[in-house]
Amino acid sequence: MLTYVVRRLLYAVLTFFGISVVVFALVHSVPGDPTYFFIGHTTVPPSVIAAIRHQHHLDEPLLSQYRWWLGDLLTLDLGTSITERRPVLEMIAEKLPHTFQLNLIAFLLAAAIGVPIGLWSAARSGRLSERAAAVGFFLLYSLPSFWVALLLMQAFSVRLGWLPLFGMTSDHYLELSTAERFADRVRHLILPVITLTYAQLAIFARFSKSAVTDVIRQDYITTARAKGVAPGAVLWRHAFRNALIPLITLLGLTIPYLISGSVIVEQIFQWDGIGHLYFTSILRRDYPTVLGLTVATAVLTLLASLAADLMYAAADPRIRFDGRNR
Amino acid sequence: MWKVTWRRFRRSKLAVAALIYVAAVTLLAASAPLLAGRGRLVPFGPNDVDITTRLRPPDPLHRLGTDDLGRDVLARMIHGGRVSLTVGFLATGISLIIGSLLGALAGYYRGAADWIVSRTIEVVLCFPFLFLVLGIVALFGPSLYTIMIALGLTSWTSEARFVRGEFLRIRELDFAYAARASGARDARIILRHLLPNALAPVLVSASFGVASAILTESALSFLGFGVPLPTPTWGSLLLAAQQNIEYAWWLALFPGVAIFLTVSAFNIIGDRFRDAIDPRAE
Repeated sequence: MLTYVVRRLLYAVLTFFGISVVVFALVHSVPGDPTYFFIGHTTVPPSVIAAIRHQHHLDEPLLSQYRWWLGDLLTLDLGTSITERRPVLEMIAEKLPHTFQLNLIAFLLAAAIGVPIGLWSAARSGRLSERAAAVGFFLLYSLPSFWVALLLMQAFSVRLGWLPLFGMTSDHYLELSTAERFADRVRHLILPVITLTYAQLAIFARFSKSAVTDVIRQDYITTARAKGVAPGAVLWRHAFRNALIPLITLLGLTIPYLISGSVIVEQIFQWDGIGHLYFTSILRRDYPTVLGLTVATAVLTLLASLAADLMYAAADPRIRFDGRNR
Repeated sequence: MWKVTWRRFRRSKLAVAALIYVAAVTLLAASAPLLAGRGRLVPFGPNDVDITTRLRPPDPLHRLGTDDLGRDVLARMIHGGRVSLTVGFLATGISLIIGSLLGALAGYYRGAADWIVSRTIEVVLCFPFLFLVLGIVALFGPSLYTIMIALGLTSWTSEARFVRGEFLRIRELDFAYAARASGARDARIILRHLLPNALAPVLVSASFGVASAILTESALSFLGFGVPLPTPTWGSLLLAAQQNIEYAWWLALFPGVAIFLTVSAFNIIGDRFRDAIDPRAE
């Protein structure tokens, strides 16, 4: 186990360097002077430009610029927003809980509905009802989320007037009591959560179905059947328990997917999270924030997949003792 | 082998329907200038502004209604399909080339080459896809080319994995040894002998790739970071719908259906094709 953990950690460190190189290369492959990343497209006297170049080490060789950039990252310094004049990390820390709230609810909901559906599909594999459900989920997965959001808004907010069109809170939020505030937040959460959940539902259902199907093909299931264990008990007691282990990997896999999806959902519903921050930073040409967020989300994904891999290894001894990690 | 695959693919009516749909949409998009324009079947150009007919619901003249500048939605959708499909096919083409090349090198040479490619894939996978694409498009300025390149550069990982896996398997087969024994150079073995045999799983992931590229292009256009206006795309039509969400349902419905059907069709083709080449499936 220890060798596995150490190797996995070393790979994570390596991947972190890779992330820093990719973002650094991205910045320096853009045509034009990177100085404008820090001042925006405004006219400033040459002396100021020189000072900014010096301050951000842009007057040094490329390799030494990379050293500064890496040093900043390692000390958790993601730069300063040029529109808000405060540390990018502070802004991310402020918005992340909002994104987290939205995504955690959607994730749990998708797991709670999707996994049982996947197990059911595996048990009924090949029957007409299962095949119809599989096609249905497949179509669900192909629905563009921004379109679904648009239709939901049109139906429930514009026509029926049941739910707020967008935002995280109503205008009179501060005057509300605690219970009313909670209800207000829930009303604002419903449409974005539905939008985030439906596509993940399909992923969860499909993933858990194939996990169970893989387990059912194994020898110990045949043994259990041969011993005369009732078919239901084979499925529930023997197969499902082991089939749930691969679901851990979904945790690591869905994080980048969720963050990507949150750009669209947060933008449409004006939800004040990191996706929304990323988008407004791009519109305002606030490049330090854009780059800081790109690195931060990549590192977040890295940590999530690291955690998922370690949990997986703890749950499944085959991983630990296998020489290769995949 | 292709005959057997086709026979198994054909058994799914859904897959055949999807294939016919894709062919029809491609044909429609390719002949857009012949279909929509003055004196054509749809008698409006995609950018014919007429403020006297703003936001008209569907009627016999404007079959799918008009937008906030009085432009015909059907004409814009036919022309928009051109952009969506072009981006979908070309972006997938770029990611196929990068992915197959890196996957082939990793699977054929193994060792250091495999290690480097695998680590690179891990790094790319860490970036939330849409963040990276949006970032590249924002830094280099939105245009048809930036979008295709951004999509191609960020989505080659699944192709690379498939090709690598196939190469690891088929490089040990007899015909690969025979080619090596007869003195063929590595480049020839990779390109002429191994790659054609690794094609099937690559086509599966290409089909999913087109679906995802069309979806992402639409999302970018919807967010206002797609192909610059006034060029219509399905996504930018939905953006117009959002701005007029209070009164114009037809603006939201038809372009959304077009995206949905096209993305579903490519996903279904990929899925059924995967089943058709999978020897484990009955």
